[in-house]
Order: sequence, then structure tokens, then C-alpha cells
Amino acid sequence: MPTTPLSLIRNFCIVAHIDHGKSTLADRFLELTHAVAERQMREQYLDRMDLERERGITIKAQAVRLRYAPAPDPGRASGGRQGGGERAAREFELNLIDTPGHVDFTYEVSRSLAACEGAILLVDAAQGIEAQTLANFHLARDAGLVIVPAVNKIDLAQAAVPETVRELAELVGCEETDVLRVSAKSGAGVTELLDAVIERVPPPSGERDAPLRALIFDSSYDPYRGVIAYLRVSDGKLGGRARIRFMSTGRAYEAEEVGVFAPDAVPIDELAAGDVGYLVTGVKDVRQAKVGDTITRDDRPAAEALPGYREPKPMVWSGLYPAEGGDYSMLRDALDKLRLSDASLAYEPESSLALGFGFRCGFLGLLHMEIVKERLEREFDLELIATSPNVEFRVARNGGAEILSVHNPSEMPVPGTYDWVEEPFVLATVITPSAYLGPVMELCQSRRGTLGDMKYLSPERAELHYLLPLADIIFDFFDQLKSRTRGYASLDYEHWGYERSDLVRVDILLQGEPVDAFSAVVPRDRAYQYGRALTERLRELIPRQLFEVAIQAAIGSRVIARETVRAKRKDVLAKCYGGDITRKRKLLERQKEGKRRMRRVGRVDVPQEAFIAALRVETSAGSSPGGKR
Amino acid sequence: MKAGLYVHVPFCITRCGYCDFNTYAGLEELRLPYVEALVREADLARPGWPDARFVSVFLGGGTPTTLPIGQMVRLLDHLRTMLDVSPDAEVTSEANPDTVDVAYLAGLRAAGVTRLSLGLQSFDAGVLRALERLHSAEAAVTAFEAARSAGFDDVNLDLIYGAAGETLASWRRTLERTVALSPEHVSAYALTIEPATPLGRKVAAGVVPAPDPDTQADMYAAACEVLGEAGYEHYEVSNWALPGRRCLHNLGYWEGRPYLGLGAGAHSFAGDRRWWNVRPPQQYLETVARGLLPVGDEERLDADQRRLERLLLGLRLVDGVPESWLLAPERADMFVEEGLAERRNGRLALTDRGMFLANELVTDLAG
Repeated sequence: MPTTPLSLIRNFCIVAHIDHGKSTLADRFLELTHAVAERQMREQYLDRMDLERERGITIKAQAVRLRYAPAPDPGRASGGRQGGGERAAREFELNLIDTPGHVDFTYEVSRSLAACEGAILLVDAAQGIEAQTLANFHLARDAGLVIVPAVNKIDLAQAAVPETVRELAELVGCEETDVLRVSAKSGAGVTELLDAVIERVPPPSGERDAPLRALIFDSSYDPYRGVIAYLRVSDGKLGGRARIRFMSTGRAYEAEEVGVFAPDAVPIDELAAGDVGYLVTGVKDVRQAKVGDTITRDDRPAAEALPGYREPKPMVWSGLYPAEGGDYSMLRDALDKLRLSDASLAYEPESSLALGFGFRCGFLGLLHMEIVKERLEREFDLELIATSPNVEFRVARNGGAEILSVHNPSEMPVPGTYDWVEEPFVLATVITPSAYLGPVMELCQSRRGTLGDMKYLSPERAELHYLLPLADIIFDFFDQLKSRTRGYASLDYEHWGYERSDLVRVDILLQGEPVDAFSAVVPRDRAYQYGRALTERLRELIPRQLFEVAIQAAIGSRVIARETVRAKRKDVLAKCYGGDITRKRKLLERQKEGKRRMRRVGRVDVPQEAFIAALRVETSAGSSPGGKR
Repeated sequence: MKAGLYVHVPFCITRCGYCDFNTYAGLEELRLPYVEALVREADLARPGWPDARFVSVFLGGGTPTTLPIGQMVRLLDHLRTMLDVSPDAEVTSEANPDTVDVAYLAGLRAAGVTRLSLGLQSFDAGVLRALERLHSAEAAVTAFEAARSAGFDDVNLDLIYGAAGETLASWRRTLERTVALSPEHVSAYALTIEPATPLGRKVAAGVVPAPDPDTQADMYAAACEVLGEAGYEHYEVSNWALPGRRCLHNLGYWEGRPYLGLGAGAHSFAGDRRWWNVRPPQQYLETVARGLLPVGDEERLDADQRRLERLLLGLRLVDGVPESWLLAPERADMFVEEGLAERRNGRLALTDRGMFLANELVTDLAG
């Protein structure tokens, strides 16, 4: 395959609020460019993991190369850089970088953006601009990308096309005629959109004769081939068999194979400046191929690395424990492997009196946590207990001279031994129909929010900015927001930083013994309510035992709530003689097995659901986080 | 080798809503061939039990007393001829109050039945209806008196507690009226909802409430109290007897003695092997008619299973098990502290309260 001239390359991505049709549009691009044979086509082709298709979200960014020759119809050219005549003769190389659409994965979005020169900003004509539309637009513009605005779902009965076009033109700062109108579902306008990408998005710049510089913008791990790095080549050329060097570590490896995703992996001879593709090195340790690192040639190294990325910062922490105590080393191996394809996952060993040996894991958000847990269970055949997630607290001593980071609530020092506590805050953007302003503000206030500013996008829709503690939005905030606005409000947030808060640690005691896995750090004025709710929930979940079980919530030594599980009085086979014995024995064998799966804390058998339930107690509606946003 | 002999008679006039035993209504025409088959099966089984001396015989069901008395006599005679049944063996027959009269019962006595177990269940008409029992409380008293007239000096009354609508007060009245009859033995069972029964389906559908375990525990305590005060020894979870009147046959199960079961679906046990006959009476008859043992399936108990069985059976009894049977005797410490178990003469035994929690304790101790 000859190297494509830079002028015929376009690197772009699609950014959109979730459900605005990004994956469907990508499917149409694949079809239009014949990248996938018709019979192999399936919905959301680029969403590679089962989980992604099930949840309808995109987790890992994907890069796919499309070859596209625009139709020779000069009449359709709308004043682009190049004349229709030249265009018609040429086949373009389009690299479509897919991006995740969930707020947890904003970090991966910005990484993907760095590999592009342009972005299609896609908005659902029936929904209008949403919070993530704004967030993604700002990310893309800040990354210096050319924005190609497009309104999708124009064929829906409830589509408000002219209004959405107007909103979008205003946001991007372009003429309404520059906004493309498409239906990703039917394919209407998709060709025109692809043509607009070619016309408006500039080709990548780069020196093909300069020393190699390629940015690793993502990586995955293949058990047979080792680390697979996704690259954007900025300068020079990278062929298979070249000796390459990771600039941050200085370590050199043989490039075993380079290639592109079209959309399945296709090896090619060489990746050149402007190209997006992959590199197989046989490196087994993903830490050697860090996302954000620059690859150069060992025999002709570049002088300077490309600007990298900041390390992803875990925002939500939870203890992951094997349900079967003996699976600890399997869990460790699984985490090591999973981290190869998920650089944002952090973990450190910890042990719990109640749960034994496990890991305190850091996640980008609650959805990320659920996905990691599901992947560990599915791909590594583990059964896990996850403790209630928490944010990272910072405990200040000596007037702030000494800061202690706490990832596990049970490690939170007792009051009186520190000066203050800080917790992470986010700046949230909520877009809501004006009619629901009251309920939205009420909700934000009840979550300790502070209103920053508010503006009207139109007389019917308002945009609000709130400063909120992260801990108060990671659970059910989004569900609450949706239910209070009949599904019309949208949310996005960015991390703001740490602020002081009046927080206390609430412990749960069973038979007077504190159970570390149940400890939580909560606002002082909510401690009583929290203690009540959790003890009540535990009373429902802890089965009756041979003795009465006292469940207490306490701050330090002060008990703030108490519940009792009454002693069990009957657990017997009334009749047991004759042929019944085989059946009865099997019954007891099952009962024994059920008991074995419980955790014994002191003398109390605690079912695994109790540890999971503690997750849910902070939610008033009992709704589940995660899922499609 | 001492052994027990169980004979299963799978016929009933109607099936009670709570019962999940291998019983059938409307198969009366099979009664005569069935007795033939039982005799034939005893003959086929005999070579497998060369050293067995049967110290107890138990006719259960179903309703054994649905068999015509002549067949009953024939059956017991043949069994005695073919198997080594001890002359002083305890021979029990179950009976439903509405299937017996003095003449029939006298016939049973003559056939060598020494002990009668009457399915009385309750003196509360509402409870009898809830259990779908055909007989009235009065019929049960009549049957009991008939048994006495026929010469039975060893009678058990079967009771069930915890049916929908039964109150603790009503259960106490049942207990008191039972005691007033002065039977030698009382079995009182907490009603257990079996999923594959009409009652089980009603409970699952929410039509009938499931028995409340705490209420049943209160009723159990009342049984311990009322029967204890009347001189009955609580010798097994659900069984009480006047001194010297414990049921030998059932003790055989709990003490792990071998037993031979004859009839459709009957279980047998010897050594480490347990096997059971095919359940449908028709299939049972056909197999035996071909001269084959009607064994449906069998299992060999491994060491863990045998240990679990010995504990689950032995701890049902008032004298419990030798502590040497426990892998970790210290696990019982907590139960002793909580008053659920007692240590006596190197044995661990459950208290009244502990017996009603036997599953929980056994699964812990067997761990």
C-alpha cells in the first residue's frame, strides 16, 4: 500500500451527547466507504467489547481507517479548500477516531482529540444541545480542532431541525447553512457530511523526512501479541521491523508489526506522518508503552517528545475483594492484565477484617467501576465483592502542612486528630427546560451545591453551573435529575479541585465490633440519617442467626443508630426418617454451601449482598448508577 | 445384624394438600396385585439380607389401612415367612381415622400389628380443613377409642401445627385434648410447605400465608411444655413418648441402622449404600412381575456425606452424638453458651431450643 500524501489524509472524530447517534453515524461511514462487507455489518460495529454493545456506550476509543473517493460532482462543493475536479480524481484516507460518550471517560475523549484535526459535533434534532454537547465542543475547540456541526435524526417526527440548527450555529459561531443535516439511521445527508469533513478539516501537518515522532493515544493488550499501541504519527515514518524507542523510558524494542484498523486490524508496511494506526512490539508490560508517551526510532531519535497527557486521576475508590478468599492471587493477575487495556485503573493491595485480602481500586467514575468489576468477573471468571465507593479525602494536619490522602473510609482518622478535611468538588453543567428550573435547583441545593451562574439558551432552556461535592453526584444524582425533569435535563461535569467540608466517619458495628468494610465518610449533618438508613437496610439483609445481632452506627464512640436482628428460632426438618434422608442431606449440603459463601464477621454471618447494599443506601430512590446517560 | 423393615402402601382415599409423599388416590384396583408384588419383592430382596434380623416393621404410606384386612394378614404372614422377623418385633401400622373401625383394628392386632400410628393432626376443625383432611376431630377420637377396644396398648397420635389460621391457643387445646386421650406416643410436626404440592403452590401464589417460623417456634415450645408436664419424654425433634414407648423403628433411622424398604419408591440402606425403588406403582408392579428388583437408583455415601448424615440424624435425638464424631468439638462451645446444646458424658446433645434449630447447628458442626 503506497503512502498516502498528507493532503489526502483527514483525521477526525465524532463528538456528541450520548444517544445522539454517534455509533450509528460511524456505522454509516463504514458502509459508505465499504470498510465492512455488508453481510458482516452489525450495529455499533466499532464498539468492540460485548459490554459496550450491551450498555450501548463506547468505552475504548477506536481508530478506523476508511478509504473514500468523493463523487465527482462539483455542484456539491460548498466552497472548500480544494476544487471539485481535483477531489474527484483522488481517494482520501480518512481516520475516524471514535470517542467514549460518558462523563466518566472525558479523559479518553481528550486523548482521542489530540489525534485529530477535526471533529463532527453531532446533535440530536429532537433533543437539542445537551450538557455533553457543550463539554465536548469546548474540549474539541480547546484542542484546536475544526468543528463540523451536524444535526442528526432529522427524519424523526419530533425533530426540531431549524431550532437545533440555530442553537448549534450559535454555539459554534458559524452560519446556519454550514450546519449539516443528516439522518444517521436512514443515511440521508451522510455523504454530504463526509464531503464536508474532507473540505473543511485540514490535512495533518508533519515532516515525513524528519525523525520519527508518534504519540501513543491508547493501548490494548492481546494475550498472544502483547501490548498494542494506538498511534498518531506526527513526524517521520514507522515501518515494521524498525527498532523503536519509548522516549519516556528510553527503552528500545523491535516493531513487530504496524497496521491500521479498517476496521479490523490490517498490517501495512509503514505508517507515516499524519497516519493513525497501531504498533505491535511484543512488549508484555504495558507500563513500558504508556499512553501519552512518544515513540521514536532508536537509530535516529527525535530531539524532543510530543506533548503528552496528564496521568488519569481516579476519582472514585472502592475495595474489590474476591468472594472466595482463595482467589486473591487470581484477582491480582486479573487486575494486572486489565490495566494493560485500561490505563486509568489504579489499585493497591489492602486487607479488611471483614473481607480478607483485596485491592483498593481507583476509578474514573461509578460507571467505570461497574465496567471494571463486570470485566473482571466476565473475562477472568471471578466473583467479587465491591465495597461502597467513596471519593478521596484529604486530611490536613499541622495547619495544612501535612496532608494525608485517604482512599478508604475506615482509614479516616478520628475527629480531634486533624485540623480539617477536604473533598473533591466538580463544576457541573446542567441544561434543563426552564419549566424544571425549580426542581433542578432544589436537587442541587440538597446535594450541597452552590450555584455559579445561569443563562438561557433560549426562552425555554436554561444552562446552570453548580459547584457540587463529587461524592454527592456519583451515586444517584443523574437519575434524580432525570426523574425531576421528566428526562429532559442533561448533565456534564468537570473536576474542580478540593475544598474543605464538614465530614465525619460513620462506622457500623455488629455485636459491638466495627466492620471496616461498612465505614463511610459523610457530611456531619447527614450522619444521623445515613446511620439510620444503613442500619435499617442491614437489618433486612442480615439473616436471623442463632443469637440476637445488634447493628449499630457510630461516630467515634457515640452510637447514633441501632437496629436488632432477632435470633432465629426455627430451622429444622420437621420429619426426617425413612427414604427422606438422602433428600434432607442434600438440603443441608446446600445450606452449608450457602453459609460458606457468607462472610463471618466476629460471630455474625453477613451475606455478600449486604456489602453491595451498602452501595445503594445513599440513594433515596434506590436507583442504580451506570447505564446509558 | 439388627435391621428395620419398611413397607410402603401408596394408596390414599384423597391426597392431602400438604403431602408430598409417594401416594396416589384412585388406584384402589391395584391393591391386590400390589400386595402380591410386595411379597414377591421380599422374596427377591431376601438374598441381599442374609444376616438381617428385622426387629421392627413399619407399614407406612399412603394409607396402609386402605388394604382389605385379609390382604393385610396375608402380607404380614408372608413377610414373616420369608424374612427373619423377630417374634417380639415392633410392628407399626399407620392409619387414618376414617379408614378404620374396631373390627378392622382387631384384625390388625390378629395379624401381628403391635403398634398403631393414627393421623389425627389436629382437634381444630379449621386446621383439619386447612390441611384438607377428610376426617373430623370426633372421628379421630372414635378411631382412638376403637384402637383401645381392639387391644392396642401402644398408640401414637400424629399432630401437625402451624397451618394457616391456627393460633397458639388452639394448638394448646389440641395438645391438651391429645394428652387427655393418654396415647403412649405423640409425634408433633411443624407444618412444612413442600413446593410440589397443592398447598405449596397456594403459598407460592400468595393465596395461603406461609407458616410463620416464630409462631411455629412458640407452638413447639408449647408442645415441649404440655407433653413434658404430662410425662412424655421428648426424645426426638418431633417425637414424644411415655417411658419405654419410643418408636424402635424410627430410632433405627436416626441411629443409622440398616433398613430394607419394600414397595413403590421405598428407600433401603445398608453399609454405605442407599437405594430406592421406582416411584410409580404401575412401573413397580411391572418390574417385580418380571422377577427383577425394582430399584430405581442408588447412591454410595462418601466419608463426608456419612459424617453429615450421622450428625443430622444423631443430633435429632435427646442423647445426641459422641463428641468424638465432631471434627472440631470447640465449634459447639458457642451453642453450649447460648443454651442450645449440652455436653453430657462425652456426648453433645441439643436442648429443646437447640433441636428446633438443628439445621443451623448441624451445618455449623459438620463444617
